[in-house]
Amino acid sequence: MNFITKKAPIVNNSQRSFKRAFTLHFAIIATSIVTVVLKALSSLENPGELAVRAFFMIVVGALVSVLVELAYAYSEKDITKFKNYKGYVIPINTGILIALLLPSITPIYVLILAVVVGVYAGKLVFGGYGYYIFNPVLVGVIFAQLSFGTQLAVFDTPLQLLKEALNGATTNFNILDLFVGNYEAVAIGSTSVILLSIVFIYLLVSKVIDYRISGTFLISVFIISFGIGVINYYVSGDFSGVFDYVLVNMITGLTFFGAAFLISETVSSPTSRETKIVYAVVVAVLMMTVRVLGDNAEGLVFAILFGNMITPFINRTVKRSNKKTLIKTVVISLVFVIFTSIALGMILQGRVEEIYALVGGVL
Amino acid sequence: MITEYRTYINPSKVYIPITDSEYKMANVKVAVGDRVLIGEKLAEKFKGKNKSPVLSTVSGKILEFKDMIDRYGKVVDHVVIENDKLYEKFQHKTFEHSITTAEVRNVINNLGLNKISVDGIFTNLDFNAKSKYVVVNAMFTNEPFISTDYEFLIKHSAEMADGIELLSIAANAEKTIILVDKFMPEEALLELGKEIVEKDIEVITIDSKKVNAKDYKIIKNLVNETLSVNLVDNGVVYTEIGAAKMLHDAVRLGVPVVTRKVAITGDALNINAVYETRIGTRFTELVEDLGGYSEIKNMNLHIGSFLTGIQLDSDDFAITQTVDSVNVAEYRGVDEDVCIKCGDCNDICPAGILPQNIMDAELRSVNSRIVELNTDECVECGLCTYVCPSKINVLEWVRRAKRRVG
Ligand code: SF4
Ligand code: SF4
Repeated sequence: MNFITKKAPIVNNSQRSFKRAFTLHFAIIATSIVTVVLKALSSLENPGELAVRAFFMIVVGALVSVLVELAYAYSEKDITKFKNYKGYVIPINTGILIALLLPSITPIYVLILAVVVGVYAGKLVFGGYGYYIFNPVLVGVIFAQLSFGTQLAVFDTPLQLLKEALNGATTNFNILDLFVGNYEAVAIGSTSVILLSIVFIYLLVSKVIDYRISGTFLISVFIISFGIGVINYYVSGDFSGVFDYVLVNMITGLTFFGAAFLISETVSSPTSRETKIVYAVVVAVLMMTVRVLGDNAEGLVFAILFGNMITPFINRTVKRSNKKTLIKTVVISLVFVIFTSIALGMILQGRVEEIYALVGGVL
Repeated sequence: MITEYRTYINPSKVYIPITDSEYKMANVKVAVGDRVLIGEKLAEKFKGKNKSPVLSTVSGKILEFKDMIDRYGKVVDHVVIENDKLYEKFQHKTFEHSITTAEVRNVINNLGLNKISVDGIFTNLDFNAKSKYVVVNAMFTNEPFISTDYEFLIKHSAEMADGIELLSIAANAEKTIILVDKFMPEEALLELGKEIVEKDIEVITIDSKKVNAKDYKIIKNLVNETLSVNLVDNGVVYTEIGAAKMLHDAVRLGVPVVTRKVAITGDALNINAVYETRIGTRFTELVEDLGGYSEIKNMNLHIGSFLTGIQLDSDDFAITQTVDSVNVAEYRGVDEDVCIKCGDCNDICPAGILPQNIMDAELRSVNSRIVELNTDECVECGLCTYVCPSKINVLEWVRRAKRRVG
């Protein structure tokens, strides 16, 4: 009697990577639907039209992404993957995410180009799912933003208003509006934080995203924006300015969307717990730097792409993971985040010399 | 599902390998035509300077020496003995109550008891100057449905408790721990508890539903230093409760291991059963006793734990004292997906190394990186393979890296 010596799969552990992709798929579709509904109910100009446009974009995004993958599979003469729905899940996820990351005023040709570039140049040329270095979603989005900046420009997003407030303009934010996503959004996906946090928790519990990446990211953003807020808006005893600053940074823009769908994307992020923390901190710091100092009011896309870029490098720096290195990483990251927060706050006030002094003092 | 308890202790011939995976050289002490008794020395096998006897498990005439595969899949010389069913024993020395460390160690050496549990992080019953801790595992969960035989445990709890005490004497142990399953039946726990309550043995419960190398962590906390691949080097002797029973029999009754409990499971067999079987029985005879294989193509034969055991391509091997379970099932290939770099394997690794990164380095053949990642510290527990959501056999990659570079 002869036997196969291939190791049989261990069935007790029900975690499967395609199940995770399905969970994400479900979360993305649910988010899209609720987002479209919220758009229709918002108090912006022409809510109905906006919602229809958003819906249309999401569908087109998914469709184009699937078509590109199919065309590629045909050219490679291997379409077995697309025999059942399982093969479509990841392409659809990518397509919808690209659509959700563009504003609803995006011309359709821009969206199509973004998806083609993202899926082809970001994913397929590297060998497909599992092998790419940069998150294909972000590759597509950054391509659109760099090439069609004017067509995509959205004005008066909360983050921009916040930036202008620094130059003396006064803005009052309606907290409730911020929570339900009733504001000019930099992207379709920058929607109600209530919805996004539900999705976030769902994905966290179902282990699709890693709390060490997304959690560290959110905490870092919180600390940095709080620091900047305190330095710039604190008027003896009155915390309302600080509160507004932190709130707008945390719940508008792409902060939560990124935490739920982008930054924890496993293939392009590091694999061990220490490096995950470092990665999340780097992304948070860069994002806040761009938000504060850059021309762009939203820096997440840049920041994550940069994080992806250094991932192979930080992956290479770890040798093993144990308690000592973990604690060291956490402490260093915390110090770094706090320092960034102070430094950014001071730069905003033009107190650059003081930062040099601070660095000098520490050294 | 195990539905029956059976005995198969009267095979007409037994096949006893004279070497094993560690003791690779042997001096044969008998010749074809000799008559041997139970417990008589057939050969002496060597691992460097250490030697261990190979004992007969039946009385009868030696028929021939034969090349067969052993339970590790390697072709080695087997002594074939015809069982005359008289079961005459070669009397080894027995000990009543008080016994010294050296005496227990002697019994272990003379009766070839060093090697009993071989899967995962279990150690041999080797003792050295550093030996300080004895950890005995009274739970054994395995996929899909092999589990501890609690009937056996209840019936022999006194012997087992005595065996554990003998182990701790042999190790000069500062501390002796027994690991039990949280879901252990009340009665078994009670019986065992009754026997060990007087003895200085700590009981630790483990939740067998969570696969997270709790035993490894307990041992790590115990010794409070980085564990080496062989726990004996850390002064720990880690074995399962069956070994305690065998030690009891050897010391108190003077009998070597002649029979063993083997769980035979899997959907390729019509009946699944726990056997009490004589060591040296051919596995094919047991299969026959179970009514043969069902009509299944693509069969998979697995010896030992699913996480760490091994696969054979033939079923023509003989049961040895290190075989505790055999599973024969249809191979249900689940496609391996690509590594999604989730890092689950890195998180679970009890040795604190990074299997995903090692696999990556191995794929790209970067030897310096493999060394840098402390690949040699892998204890081959198999947890990385267990947790992988893409069903990649991560352990195989780590092993490959270890073998190639280490
Ligand atoms: S690399 Fe895998 S098999 Fe080796 S110790 Fe780590 S988890 Fe266990
Ligand atoms: S658990 Fe599997 S999929 Fe996840 S990083 Fe490890 S090898 Fe890759």
